[in-house]
Order: sequence, then C-alpha cells, then structure tokens
Amino acid sequence: MTKDSTGRLSLGQALLRLSPLALPCVALFGGGLALAIAQSFGVALPFPYEGGAFAAYQELTRPHLAGSILLSLWVALASAGLSVICGSILAYAIWRLPNALQRWTIIYKTPLILPPIAVGFLAIIFLSRSGVLSSLAFHIGLVDTPADFPSILYGGWGGGIILAYLYKETPFVVLLSLAALRRLDPGLVQTAHMFHASRATIFRTIILPHLAPVLHTVFIILFLYSFGAFDIPYLVGESSPGMLSVEAFNLYFKRTLADRPTAMALLTLMFLFSVGFIVIYTRTASRLGQKERKL
Amino acid sequence: MKRPLLLAMLAVLFLAPLAVLAVYSLGSGWAFPDLLPRRFDLRAVRYIAGEWQSVAKHLASSTAYSLATAALTLVLTIAPAHLFARRRFPGKVLLEGILLAPALVPAMTFSMGVHYMFIRAGLNDTMLGVVLVLATFSYPYMLRALVAGYQSFGEEYALCAQNLGAGPLSRLWRVELPLLMPAIVAGGSVVFLVAFSEYFLVFLIGGGRVPSFTGYLFPFLASSDLGLASALTLVFFIAPLILFVLVELTVSRAYRRRGLY
Repeated sequence: MTKDSTGRLSLGQALLRLSPLALPCVALFGGGLALAIAQSFGVALPFPYEGGAFAAYQELTRPHLAGSILLSLWVALASAGLSVICGSILAYAIWRLPNALQRWTIIYKTPLILPPIAVGFLAIIFLSRSGVLSSLAFHIGLVDTPADFPSILYGGWGGGIILAYLYKETPFVVLLSLAALRRLDPGLVQTAHMFHASRATIFRTIILPHLAPVLHTVFIILFLYSFGAFDIPYLVGESSPGMLSVEAFNLYFKRTLADRPTAMALLTLMFLFSVGFIVIYTRTASRLGQKERKL
Repeated sequence: MKRPLLLAMLAVLFLAPLAVLAVYSLGSGWAFPDLLPRRFDLRAVRYIAGEWQSVAKHLASSTAYSLATAALTLVLTIAPAHLFARRRFPGKVLLEGILLAPALVPAMTFSMGVHYMFIRAGLNDTMLGVVLVLATFSYPYMLRALVAGYQSFGEEYALCAQNLGAGPLSRLWRVELPLLMPAIVAGGSVVFLVAFSEYFLVFLIGGGRVPSFTGYLFPFLASSDLGLASALTLVFFIAPLILFVLVELTVSRAYRRRGLY
C-alpha cells in the first residue's frame, strides 16, 4: 500500500471502474460455473433427463468416487508439501551462494517454462518400469528385470503425478522464497554462525520463520493447482480410481449423455472445495509484502 | 552444502531431463536396460524437417493466441489494477479475492459450461473463443503484476502530467504505461506461458480446429515413439525459451539499468 492512497470511493464508483474486467469475467467464469451447477441439478440440459434434482449428487456417493476424492486430496497434499520443503531448502542454498555463482542457478527455472504435458512426458521416460531410472537401477545392480522396479507410474497411489508435480512446482517455491530471502539481512545468519549455530538450526530458527508467510501462501496455490489440474494426470495418472479432473472428463466425454449431470456435480464439488481454500488463501496472502506476491 | 555439489545437483535435476530428451531424439531402437540408443540416426530430425510446415503452423498459432491472450488481459486489467493500487473503497479485499479466484479454481469447473455457452454462441472452434477462455483464467496474473507495478511508483507522476494539461489517455499512454512496463512484461510473460502451455482448454474450446502445439504434441507423447516425441518436445520448448531470453536480455535489463526495477 502506498502512502498516497488517500482517495476513497464509494462501492458503486469502484464497481463501475471494475466493470471492464468484472463484466466479461462474470459472463464467462460466472456463466460457465452457473451452467455447470444448473446442469448438476438436471436443469438447462440439452437433452431430456430422467433423474431428479439430486440424482447426480447421489451418484457421487459411489465408493469409486470416494476413492477418487481421496486420491486427489492425497496427491495435492503430498506434491504441494514436498514442493514447499524441497523448494525452501533449495532457495536457502542458492541464497547463500556468492552473487557470481547465483546467476548460474537460473537453470532452476527450466520446469517453469516446460509445459505440463512435457513434464508428464518426462515422468513417463524417467519413471516407467522400463525407463531411464529403471535402466540405471539395472546397471547399478538393483534390479534384474523391469518387473523388479517399483510401479511408480500406475501403482494406484499417484506416485507419477506427485513426482511430476514436484518437478514442476519446486521452482515456483524457489522463485517466491528467493524474493523473500533477498529482504533478509545476511548479518543475522553470520551472527548465528559466530555463535556456532548449526546449518539446520539456522534454517529452523531464522530462515523458516522469515519464509513462513510465503510458504503458507505458496502451499495453498500449489495445493489448488495439483488438486484441479488436468494435463499431467491425464497423461501419467492412475486409471481407477483416477484424479477428480480425469474422472469428470471421462464422465463428460466418454460416457453416455445421462452421466453429464454427474460430471457437473463433481465439478461443482471441486469448485466448492477450492473456494474453501481460497478463503484461507486471501487471509494468508494479505499478510505478505507486495514484492513477494505473484498472485 | 558445498558449492560445486549444489551446482552439480541443480544441473542434474534441471538440465539432465533436457539432455535425455536430446539423446532420445537422436536415436532409435532401445529398450530396457539400454541407457543409450542402440544406434544414432536422424530419423526424428528428418521427420520434423519433412513436416516443418505443419510444425510451424501449430507453433505460430499457439504463439498468436498466447500473445493475444496477454494483450487482452492487459486491456481488461489496467483500470481495475489502478483502482486496487490507488483507491480505498468498501469491500476491497473481498472484491480483489473474488477477482483473483479464477486462477485458483480448477479451470475445468467453469470451462465445461463455457464450452456449452460457446457452442450456442458459435464461438467454439474459433481462435476468439480460445483467447477468451484462456484470458478468463489467466488474467489474475496480469492483474496482480499491474497492482504491484502501480504500487512501485507514486501517483505524483500522473498528477504532475495532469497539472500540465495531459488528459486521461495521454497520462496513461505517456506516463503510466512506460512506468508500468516492467510489470507488464512480468505479468505478460506469465500469462503467455500459461496460455502457451495449456492443453485441455485449447483442445476443448478449439475443438481441434484451432491449431495448437500442445494438441499437436499430445498424440506423440502418448504414443510409443519416444524419439519423435522427445524431438518435438524440444522444438516446442525452444519458442518460449527464446522469448524469455529476449525479455530477460532486453526489456528487464534496460529498465534495471534505469533503476526502475
């Protein structure tokens, strides 16, 4: 907030100025969402629908979908959590480098530029049972046949998706953490060194508290991304139960028209869940400095 | 951690995958447990050279709709960004939260409904439809960047220009936009990248009719021809890479030298 922001407006004036963005946003985002919700109750469908208003939501109670919900939550939790841990440690390591060397660490941004489907493809090449890591394990003497290599990609617990997300998301954590660390006085760390604090102690008592607001925020962003994204799970995901986004896609496109309300009910559920997290997000994000916020 | 060790680890983590793609694209006929292809050949390179018109068409189309999306988000968010950065009004935090939400909510939750609306409006399978739907969930990145951009300098510049007789458009064009340029570049890069990398929305709304490199690439990635898929992934990685190097080398550096960022 700048100090010259003294201009006060009424809500009406503010809404008028927001209209160039708010109107198309309401029309497309709100309209699309409203249609999904309406269709989930069997209204505004392009075909005759026999089920009642809540039939689609009753379909959601099938055990198959419960498994899908659990898988999505687990994948989102594990990938966002691991990314935050790896990213903050990596950011601290990069921050401690002298400036001349820091310039070379820019390669950490590669996965940010790689499209998600390319990251998914890398997961296939590296993690499949006859892939690069499996072949490496053979040469080290850990496995004799592809079947000895653990089934990471389609093992039922989302291992391939989690690792693909970890690769894609860690640089994002590094990016935001580095921005926050640039505001930290290196003297604090030097002083702690002089008192013979170990690296782990310094990380726990100085770096982590400084990074905490950024890490909370970035965790929620990544959690929501992993929870709802489609491209990577579609390419390397488990088939049954699959991630919610893939289940919704299959219900919508690959099954009969009568399944569309169920697809829409699933999307509505995903939306409500995300909104809950966004409320938490806005509370944590408002505590951040403007320089660290990317969203 | 020792410095060389850290740099080596970064290189292995972030460059090795690209190196593996390069090796895969130059060979064929390998299976577990080969680490290198049985023979090196230029099959993939020849295929791409033979198909270059198709590759170029998809790359150009993706670049075009991504640039258009970035431009559209700039036009949509410039006035709201000014409002959030400079003015106070009731419900500000809530409104900003609501307007940032489309980037956080899964795109799928609204895109199926949008698809249905676009079919009714005749916007499905068109470039315009693709740009509209991409802008709908990527504009928050531009909005955030512009709000931060406005907050990085004060209102005095615009007030000064106003006192000298500059109208609103002139103030925007000659005073604020140049000062905002680093923020526009930052926000635009993110929006471009999000749009350029997106597979599902472009495929859904474009219906396969709007050429996109992700739509072109996907069947190869899901096929068993790893060599060709690797080569194409590298080709399509180069376009955003060139863009980012250009941005990094020219625009941001020029502004940093002038002490603006």
